Amino acid sequence: MISDRLKKIICNELYLDPSSIEINDETQAPEVPGWDSLNHANIIVAIEKDYGVRFKGLEILKCNNVGALQNLVDSKVSD
Amino acid sequence: MFGIDFSKLPGLFLFDPNDPLLFGSSLFLFLFFALLIFYRIFSKSNNTRILVLITFSLYFYYMAGGLFLLLLILNAILNFYFGKWMGATNVDSKKRNFLWLALLFNLGLLVYFKYSNFFIQLVNDINLGQFELLDIILPIGISFYTFKSLSYILDIYLDAMEPTESFRDYFLFVTFFPNILSGPIDRAVKFLPQINKSYSLTRKEIAMGLMLIMMGLIKKIMIADYINLNFVDRVFDSPVRFTGVENLLAVYGYALQLYCDFSGYSDIAIGIALLLGFKLMENFNYPYKAKSISDFWKRWHISLSSWLLDYVFRPLQMTFRNWGKAGNITALVITFILVGFWHGASWAFLVWGLLHGLYMAVGLLLKGPKRKFYNKYNLTNSKVLGAIQIFITFNLVAFSFIFFRANNFEMALDVIKQILFFFKPGVFIQFVEGFTPTFILIVLGFLFHFLPSSLGDKITDELSKMNIFVQAIIFTLVIWLVTQVQSADLQPFIYFQF
Repeated sequence: MISDRLKKIICNELYLDPSSIEINDETQAPEVPGWDSLNHANIIVAIEKDYGVRFKGLEILKCNNVGALQNLVDSKVSD
Repeated sequence: MFGIDFSKLPGLFLFDPNDPLLFGSSLFLFLFFALLIFYRIFSKSNNTRILVLITFSLYFYYMAGGLFLLLLILNAILNFYFGKWMGATNVDSKKRNFLWLALLFNLGLLVYFKYSNFFIQLVNDINLGQFELLDIILPIGISFYTFKSLSYILDIYLDAMEPTESFRDYFLFVTFFPNILSGPIDRAVKFLPQINKSYSLTRKEIAMGLMLIMMGLIKKIMIADYINLNFVDRVFDSPVRFTGVENLLAVYGYALQLYCDFSGYSDIAIGIALLLGFKLMENFNYPYKAKSISDFWKRWHISLSSWLLDYVFRPLQMTFRNWGKAGNITALVITFILVGFWHGASWAFLVWGLLHGLYMAVGLLLKGPKRKFYNKYNLTNSKVLGAIQIFITFNLVAFSFIFFRANNFEMALDVIKQILFFFKPGVFIQFVEGFTPTFILIVLGFLFHFLPSSLGDKITDELSKMNIFVQAIIFTLVIWLVTQVQSADLQPFIYFQF
């Protein structure tokens, strides 16, 4: 399940209206309008800032969909 | 009998360094049809079929690269075990050690064979010492199979796939002959699961395979080789002997030639693989229809650009992610310098890569202002804007290829100088008259490129409805046509610079 908070951060970065876009565990970056390889870094930095966490490079590279990203965030927050 | 010297026949099937086996040759076509027959006979027994394919692949590589075959086999064996060991451990540090070992082995060999002399020359040039250049022959295809193997190792490291249990399957992935010499740089994660599927082809797949091979031969031999020999080579060999208009046409001609040469070879590889029951990844997608440089790199040599995106750009980008735009730009420039360097150990390739890194960086900086501008004037979906974008992108790419093609840096500048200061547009008419077939081929080449891509699908559909004998006749006709052009005499040098 993707939290509203994570969805909001992603949509903010991409100038998208959260109510108009469906993001679930299986969603991959290219399926979200505007989420390309270049602004990927901005989205990750925005998530890190908002949650006050720091990911390792390898941890992010291993995320192959938004569900994996959510799990990564959860694991950092609960630490 | 028939004037055939049978004593020469056995030699035909041995490696000849002056005549490596390539897809365009008649020997290859003959061997490939023999393979297809065996392959069909053993289509029910997966084991035998795969064994036939491996044997053929090893023989093909031997015919193209001689005893470097042993290096290829070593590559397959070691990378299989690196992958296995990485998969067997849950300890991150151990995994990382195996990764370093694999990188050292793969990149070490690549650097040794491809870049040693470049670095020796560099050391000599900046007077750090004087060393003799090494007498090194580049093992054919090493850049391609090294990257293929590394994708397997890196995907295991990134948890994107499990290592395969089967050495045989991995061995086929590395040695698979259609893409070993020139790509596409296929990913193990896509290729391995296809190996044990039973072999059967639909009519559509057969038609697509034949179509790709025919189009590939036409692009490679009829267009690329012809305009290269008859025009492009001549201009780039001595740009100052030609007017600016001819230099410009040679630059455009070279853009077409490079595309037709490389994508033609990829098409043949993909078509051959398809007839053997394997879907390889797409390598070119009408690159000159791109509306921006970043769009171009999603369409040009896709298997390399996506490889570098996944394994070089992304890790760099994550490392520099707190630098804002500067982080992306740094990652882009480093990645594209590597793109250039991958193509060959020379300053010209480095400049070419750097140029694309800079294009991408400028594109990134202009992205925001451009979006605002287009929105303000409601241009986002404008067809005219699209055409202008395509034109600008094509010219930026063609400009970069001057450095890619020119024999040296000074000659690249000569080409640019001639275009800027000695244009002489009137010579265009003389060019069309003097080089009519070349001119027609260039026009046709670009025309086909810009036709809707659905046209190719329609032709493939029609081909798939035809009887197998009709297909065979069409295929033979295309090969005949291609060989006619191949054996045609060079166009004489009709006029010099006036």
